[in-house]
Parts: sequence; C-alpha cells; structure tokens
Amino acid sequence: MSESSKFKSSNLNATPTLQCKDLHEYLKSRSSQFLENLYNYPTICLAVYRELPELARHFIIRLLFVEQPVPQAVVASWVTQTHAKEQNKACEALSELSVWHEAPIPGGLPGWLLAQSFKKNLKVALLGGGRPWSMSQTLEPDGKARDITFLDAYALERWECVLHYMVGSQQTEGISADAVRILLHAGLMTRDAEDGSAVITKAGFQFLLLSTAKQVWLFLQHYLQTAEKRNLSSAECLAFLYQLSFSTLGKDYSTEGMSNNMLVFLQHLREFGLVYQRKRKAGRFYPTRLALNITCVRDGVAPLEAKRTQGYIVVESNYRLYGYTQSTLQVALLGLFTELMYRFPNLVVGVITRESVRQAFRGGISAEQIIKFLEQHSHPQMLKTESGGIRTTSVLPPTVVDQIRLWESERNRFTYTEGVVYNQFLSQADFVVLRDYARAQGVLSWQNERTRTMVVTRSGHDDVKKFWKRYSKSS
Amino acid sequence: MADDEIPSDSSTLVIIVDTNPNQRYITEDPKILTGCLDAVIAFANSHLMQKSRNELAVIGCHFHKSEYLYPSPGKPLDVRQIDGQYELFTLVEKTVKMRLVNLIKSQPQEEKPGESLLAGALAMGLCFISKVRREASPALKISSRILIVTGSSDTAAQYINYMNVFFTAQKQQVLIDVCSLDKHLSLLQQGCDITGGLYLKVPTLEGLLQYLLWVFLPEGSERKQLVLPGRGRVDYRAACFCHRELLTIGYVCSVCLSVFCKFSPICTTCHTVFKIGGPLPIKPKKKKMKV
Amino acid sequence: MADDEQDLKEYRWETGYEKTWEAIKEDEDGLVEGLVAEFAQKAARKALTPRRGPVRLGMMRHLLVAIDCSEAMSSQDLKPTRFLCTLKLLEKFIEEFFDQNPLSQLGLITMKNKRAEKITELSGNIRKHIKVVQGLLNLALTGEPSLQNTLEMAHRVLKPLPGHASRELLVLFASLTTCDPGDVNTTIQNLKNEGIRCSVIGLAAEVRICKKLCQDTGGDYGVVLDDVHYRSLLLEHTSPPPRARALDAGLVKMGFPHTAPPSTQSDTEPPITICMCHIDEGEGVGGEGHLCPQCRSKYCSLPAQCRTCGLTLASAPHLARSYHHLFPVDPFEELKNDGQSQFCFACVRSFTDVDKQIYRCNRCVEYYCWECESMISSTLHVCPGCASRPHLYQRLPDTS
Repeated sequence: MSESSKFKSSNLNATPTLQCKDLHEYLKSRSSQFLENLYNYPTICLAVYRELPELARHFIIRLLFVEQPVPQAVVASWVTQTHAKEQNKACEALSELSVWHEAPIPGGLPGWLLAQSFKKNLKVALLGGGRPWSMSQTLEPDGKARDITFLDAYALERWECVLHYMVGSQQTEGISADAVRILLHAGLMTRDAEDGSAVITKAGFQFLLLSTAKQVWLFLQHYLQTAEKRNLSSAECLAFLYQLSFSTLGKDYSTEGMSNNMLVFLQHLREFGLVYQRKRKAGRFYPTRLALNITCVRDGVAPLEAKRTQGYIVVESNYRLYGYTQSTLQVALLGLFTELMYRFPNLVVGVITRESVRQAFRGGISAEQIIKFLEQHSHPQMLKTESGGIRTTSVLPPTVVDQIRLWESERNRFTYTEGVVYNQFLSQADFVVLRDYARAQGVLSWQNERTRTMVVTRSGHDDVKKFWKRYSKSS
Repeated sequence: MADDEIPSDSSTLVIIVDTNPNQRYITEDPKILTGCLDAVIAFANSHLMQKSRNELAVIGCHFHKSEYLYPSPGKPLDVRQIDGQYELFTLVEKTVKMRLVNLIKSQPQEEKPGESLLAGALAMGLCFISKVRREASPALKISSRILIVTGSSDTAAQYINYMNVFFTAQKQQVLIDVCSLDKHLSLLQQGCDITGGLYLKVPTLEGLLQYLLWVFLPEGSERKQLVLPGRGRVDYRAACFCHRELLTIGYVCSVCLSVFCKFSPICTTCHTVFKIGGPLPIKPKKKKMKV
Repeated sequence: MADDEQDLKEYRWETGYEKTWEAIKEDEDGLVEGLVAEFAQKAARKALTPRRGPVRLGMMRHLLVAIDCSEAMSSQDLKPTRFLCTLKLLEKFIEEFFDQNPLSQLGLITMKNKRAEKITELSGNIRKHIKVVQGLLNLALTGEPSLQNTLEMAHRVLKPLPGHASRELLVLFASLTTCDPGDVNTTIQNLKNEGIRCSVIGLAAEVRICKKLCQDTGGDYGVVLDDVHYRSLLLEHTSPPPRARALDAGLVKMGFPHTAPPSTQSDTEPPITICMCHIDEGEGVGGEGHLCPQCRSKYCSLPAQCRTCGLTLASAPHLARSYHHLFPVDPFEELKNDGQSQFCFACVRSFTDVDKQIYRCNRCVEYYCWECESMISSTLHVCPGCASRPHLYQRLPDTS
C-alpha cells in the first residue's frame, strides 16, 4: 500500500480580530531596561499598580514597607490553599513586569524583593515626598476658566471628528496628517489602491464598535509606536500621559518647564481632544475626560463617561432598535448592522434583520462585538427594567442576542481540522488494523471502509506512521 | 453577599474615625492621635489607589456630633501638588486635616465629653453608600464597606440604633469592619458578625497602618483568597431592659419583645398587662424535664 | 349587598376623564425636566407611605399560607404561568418573612381538587419551607379549590395556639369559583370569633366572598394587576399586622444560648455532638453549635424551639429586628427648598434646582434630601442627626 500524506487546507481563523492590548500586555512586550526607566515616574508606578491582579496588589502593599527580601514561602502562606491558582497568576504578573525579582535570603531560601525604583516611587505617589510632577506649577487663576460640561463637549467633538473621518465622511478638515498616519499605521485605514485616498479596513469597523476609552487607548498605543520616529521618547510620553490620567477634571495645569518634545506631544493630544487649550501658547491646559483614566480599559463596563453620552439604544424583543441620538456618527454606527427605518431630529428607529447583520459580518464585525456594543450603549431605562423582580443576566432581550449569534454561526458551518490522508491500502485487514489503532488513540478524524480511506489528525500522524511501519515489518 | 465571588468594578469605603478626647490612648498621650490619623489617611489613600473608580468618605465622630471629613460638602478645596504625591491623595489629606481641626474647635467647652456616638456616624455612612449606588450607572458592580477605627468602649445605651444600623447594612450588603484600638467591643463585634465584616483589636498602636493595610484593605470578594484573622466567637446574649444584664434565660413580652430577667405583671415598655395565673404553655414540659 | 360595601366610590368606568396631561407645565425654559423629577419623587414617596401603625403589634406571628393549586393557576396572564410566578415570589416572601419576623412560624397549605392539604407544619425552619415550595414546581394543577375546606383546616391548626401569638391565614386565590361542602358564612363567623385574621390575594378578579372574609376577620384583600404589583402585595404581608383585639399578652420564657469564649488551652477540640435539628436525617454531627441553656441540647441554627424542653431559643439580634416598630423615627417635616441648607446632612449631596422639597428632622434640625428621607423612614429607622447628638439619640427606655 502507499501512504500518501496530504494536508487539508488550514484556513483556521478567517476573520482577523482587532488586537487591543491592555497596559499590562503592552508593558510586558517591552524590555526590562525600558521598564526600569519607566518606574522612575511615580505616575507610571501608580498606573501599573492599578492594572495588576487583586492579589498582586495586596502583595505589593504588604511588601511596600519591607526593606529585605521576604521568603517566597511566606508570601505563599498569605493566600488560602484553595486559591493557589490566583496566587501563581499574581506572582507571574509581578515578575513579568519586573515589579519584583527573586533574591536569596540569608538562609538560602528563595525570596522576593520589590524593585527599588518601583517601591520608592509608589511610596512617593502614595505618601508624598519627592519632586512635584512636571505640570503642577502654580498658576494665576484663569480669567476664562472652562467648566466640565464645556470640556466634555469639546472632547466629544474632537474625538468624533476622528471617528467621522474613519466612517468616510469626506470632510478632511479638522484632522491632521499625523492623525491619518496613525490610523494607517494601526491598520484601521488603508490607502485605496486606485486613488490613494484612505479607506476604512475591517479592523477599523471593529474599532468603531469599541468603547471610547478602549478606542483612545488603542489609538495612543499606536501613537507611541510611531512616536520614536518623530524623536519623541515613548517613556516620556507615557509618563506624561499617565500624569494627565491622574489629574483632576475641570482644573487647569501649567505648561511651564515642559520640554519642547512634550509641547509637541501636547499639541497632538489637543488635536484628539485629550486636552483643551485655548491658544497654542496659552501656558495652561485643561485635561478632558478622554485623558482621564485611560488605563481602565480592561473592565467591560462603560467607563467614566459624561452622563449624556452614557447610553442611547433601546432594543426590543421584536428586533426593533431605537437610538436616542443626534450625532450622525452614532447613527452611522447603528447603520453598520441595522436597517434604519425612520429618522427624527433626536431619534432613529431601525430594525435588526438577517440581511443587515450579515452585512456587518461581511465587513468583519463579529456577533460578539455587536452584542457588546448594544450592551455598552443601552439606554439607562433598559438597565432598570426588571421582570417580576427577577433580573436577567443581559440587558438585551435574549431572543435578539441568541438570534444574532445564530446568524453568525450560520455563516460558519465548516470547521477545519488539519489532517493526513491514508489511502490505497492493499488489503481490508491492513485498513482495519490501522483504523482501529488510530481510533483507539483518539486521533481518527474520518474513515470510509469501502474506499479504504482514513484521515488522521496532524498530531496523531507520527504515531500512526510509526505503528504502521512496525506493523508492516512484523507481518 | 450573593455575588461575592465576582470582583466588583468599584468599591466604596467609609471610614469612621473616633476622635473623642476621652479615649484612653488620647488621654495618655494626645500626640498619638496625629499618628493614628496619619495611618488612617494613608490607609484611605491606599484604598483609592486600588481602583480608579473607588469611592471614599471619612467621617469624624466626636462626642458632640459627627461630621464628614472627606468629601467636604460643596466645592472641593483647591489643592495643588506640593510634592510627588498624587494630587487626589493630597486633597484627601488636606481636607481631612482641615475639617478635623474645625470639628474639634467646634466642641462645646462647658460640656464634659460623653461617649462616642458611633451609631449615628454609621447611619450617615450608610446614607452615603446608598447615594453612591444611586448615582453610579446601574451596570456597575459596587461593593461597599464601613470601617470603624475607635478606642472607645461600646455601651448598651445605643443598642437600638446599633441594631437598626447593622440590619440595614446587612440588607444592603455593606460590610462593617471594626478596628478597636483599646477595649474589646462586643456590640460592634456583633455588627461585624451580622454583616460579615472583620473585627480586630490591635495589640499595639505602633504599626497601626500595617494592621489596617493587611487586614482591612482587601474588599469582600478578595478576602476569601487571603488568610485573615478568623471571626471568633460572638456573644449573642440579650441584655434585660431592667438591669442591662446579659441573660441566658429571660422573659420576653409577646407584644413588644422587651426582655426582662424576672417575671413582672406589666411590661414597662409597652405597658401591656400580662395575663397572670394562666400557665405559660411551655411550663409543664419544663417541669417534666426537671423530675 | 350594597349596604355592607364600605367604599361607595363609583366604578372606574363611571368616573370622568382624568386629564393627566394638564398637570404638566413647562418652566421658563420650556423644559419639563424639573417637573418630571418632582413627579418621580412623589410617586416614590407614595410607594412607601409610612406605616405609622399602633405600637402594639402582633410580633409573634403564626401564619398559614394557602396556595391555590387548581386549574385556574395554569393561566398564563402572569409570566410564565400564575403558578410558577407564585412559587418564585413565595420563596422570596418566605425569606423576607423570617427576616422581618424571626420568632414567627409559617405553614403551607395547598388547595386543589376541592381539598385542602397541609404540606408543611407550622415551623420556623426556612430551609424546609423553601425546599417544599421548590418541590411544588412540577405539581399537576387540577380541579377546583375549596375555600371552606381551607378555612376549616386553618381553623383547626391555629385554634390550639397560645393566645399571645397572632394567628393569620393568607390565601393566594386564582380561581373565581369555590366548591364548598356547606355554608361558608358560618366558617367565616367561627374564624372571626377565634380572632384569626384572614387575608386574600386574588390573582384573577375581585370575588365577593373573599372580600367579605377579609372584611369580617380584619384582613387585607388585594387583586393583582401584574407581577410587580403581586410582589408588592405579597411582601406587604411580611410586616407584622396591628395587634388584633382578641390577642392576650404574655411573657414568654426564652433562652439565649451562649458559649463561653474558648478556653486558653484551645487544643482540646470541643466534644463531637449531634445537632438536634438534623437528628431525623441522621446528619449534623459536629463540634460547634448553640446549646440550650436549660437542657444542653445542641442546635446548629437559631432561632429554634428546643425539642427536649420546649424552650424558645433565640439570640439578641432576633429580638432587636423588630425594635424599630417600637421606637420609630419621628416623621420629618417636608419643606420647600429655599436654600435653608446647601447639602443633605446624611449623604452630603448638594441640593440642586431639581430638589423642590427638602426634609427636616425637627429634633436635630438637620436637613435631608428626599432619597435619604425615604431610606431613613423605610429601612434605616435611625435619624443620623439625632443619633450623633448626645442628648437626642434613642436609648433603651430607662428603668424608672
């Protein structure tokens, strides 16, 4: 018999998913040299601390005032036996980010020691001491102080400008070449082959459905990657970004003493609406809500957004969708996966249909993303509804959620497994022996006795081949 | 306590600091109060450091009244950074210290300090927590707790207020933690037990911050993972209304549930006259037991 | 028939139009936001109109709950069906009932096929009741209920109980008909004479005989509109009713189990003993537990009635749960917001234009927002202002 091995096509993951790393993953991918450098900024220490798993945070707190290494066994004894898994995860996270490192204690046992700079600067952030952060010079009271509602409106307008540009509204005013470059770099948009104009990609559609905080974070991540090309130190930028994120909304800060690079950076942030400046040389700026808490992207819930942008979508169990919004952007977003029926000044009515959802799937959006988007932007009234005092897990009608998932799985009727074909067996007996062996090993994907053909999974192939060689030799 | 396992998105902490000048550790050395206060503030800031959405309130409980030390009502103080400390933390420290001085200054001179009215401060704390929950978006999971740091002793006089507060806290799933600086507090310990909080009597005031950070910083869902001091046994005997003595067997008025240590023909609380002569339903059985 | 109708209110369809829209008025800016907020406040306040009941309440309650299990329960006007909805709410009710009335007892009766059947005995065991309720899920709903048989059954069960306890029956009635062996009026008279308070929650429509039953025996009659209304009607029955006339007062002997703090040599494990509440099932062997102070029998949970010596065992918090009925907070005064105070004393929320009304406690003269006011009067029962003033807080009554 001949044994021919052919590979079935291995098209495993057809739709590319948008990668959104959180701070932890972002830092993990950088060198320890870079991290060492970062931990000289108290703000970064604070931000890194907040991103750590719960247990890891408590480990740090307990070790914060200890100077010498602490035996690893002691640290392990702080956690109950049943949660050893969480403990390992916490220890791993701390090591990955070089927050602590192994150090032997006098008895020879392995111990943990917090990184010197991290410890010092976290203490500074928590208890005081050290130098003030760069932007906190005292300022004369601003004659034309801006209140929070103004800042919210400004931030929203600027950010929507970027998003608008992405959805292809042809207006290019209000968006700079730099921003376009970042969008292109991030793969959210691509140059059209014919006329060279920027068009949105599949990843871009997915980007649009993310929460604003996630969008900002993703965008900034790509900004930092391109920053080095523009002679900006990404460590310095990151430190400044976190300074912003820990500032107070509605307060003004001074640009005094900021380096030229940072002033350039500030101008970029101003363009995206992360800070507000009346004039380029005003000497002061106001951070907006977008800049605040840029790290809390990991949580699934709606971030600290202004009240009026909180939620505007009502979904009914008959697949009707009401969007209480005036923003054309939000209407355009809804239009990605719904069939819009009526439009009023502050309300759009649409219906979720199979066609409209499939349209979105073709654009690379997944069912999970649609559902998440609807959940995140659901109207406060939807969150309140209770049926007979029994709260359901999702705020959306279960029928709609299930149906959207079904529509997606309807497109994915094929599952692909890699495998090796065995055929042209010389005798039925040979076939049966090999088939039964493969079945016993649990590596048999498919077989047909009449044509004496069988398919073995990729991982089982070597084993089956060896067995066949042994078998054919002995017989 | 149903969804203990799921970590919360935000946690609210109300710290009640007993500033009553007749606590023993203050009368012995008034300077210690500053040290304790610093520890409490550092602890409060550590709580805010845990998550960006965490909320904090500090209530000062003096003998003549209780008042919010943080947040200050109305507009917050205008604070600029003076050193590398996070601006919000500086604000907390400054506000608490300033308002505490005001609170202590406002104490009536002619009055002798009485007991600390912690139950009132607890009630304020519960109102604050329910406000935070009201204002947060309904999708946010919020865990809340109240920490009492006190060196006073608890007396039965506030019993009703304490119990009402404990039951409300239990219903609203607010943990009550107690950190006692001096005496054993059996009433407050009951509160911890009812609400599922922790009770700790610190052996020494030095290193108070360490005790606070180790034991009280983890929130409810995290406590399950850590090895923390156990609950201990709680004394749940009732005190009679007539002599305030703890009873193991007592008589209870069927109308108002007042407790008495001896049989009396009339209830002093609701003035109900009891039927005398009619044998109590359980008596015959009891006699059988004794034979 | 008309002469014993207490409320001579005209029927809903006979009243004139309610011009609800006329109440809405725009403010200077043409907005209705402030007004809507005011309506919401009023509605919320109305929902918890304080029960300023008499101080003497029936604290030790004996309540029988009769559940209609007839064909009428399978109707789907409550989702998923009347019966399933009832069971779900009943579980919640049982929990809430024992939370509010820790020293009370509860029993369950089913009504089907013209019979009334006792499914749990009167007891204070929450777990047992809930287990039985959950066990009813797959019950076949057949036949017609019999109101009279149910009432007779309740009469038999409740009659021998001591006079100091309140005796109550709550009927969850879905059927519009009842199949009775005799004259139901005499049964109602008997119940009335015994001072047994009967309440009915109707799941379909108002039935005259139920109304008469409730009127005669001093109970409440309600007909549900939807599941939310059902829930609120049911939960109303968790707070103790005003004490009926016929109730005798009595002093009840009670034990408060107390275990001494563990001795210094804590190495010695407590001896292994069997818990009395689990003795039937042959489990519950362990060290910890509450010992009856009279006969040293062990119980794993309180409150309980000692099986050996009959002593009621409780812990102090069980009694304290109802003290707020005895020492209620004085109602706050509603004032127009004229800037008397900038913020709420209890929660430091700043008052805004939306707060048309603010509330003042007349003892401590502090101002509160409407949310705190409703929380204080409905659940907290402590005025934060008074409780932190040395001269105003609520003490235990003095011995004098």
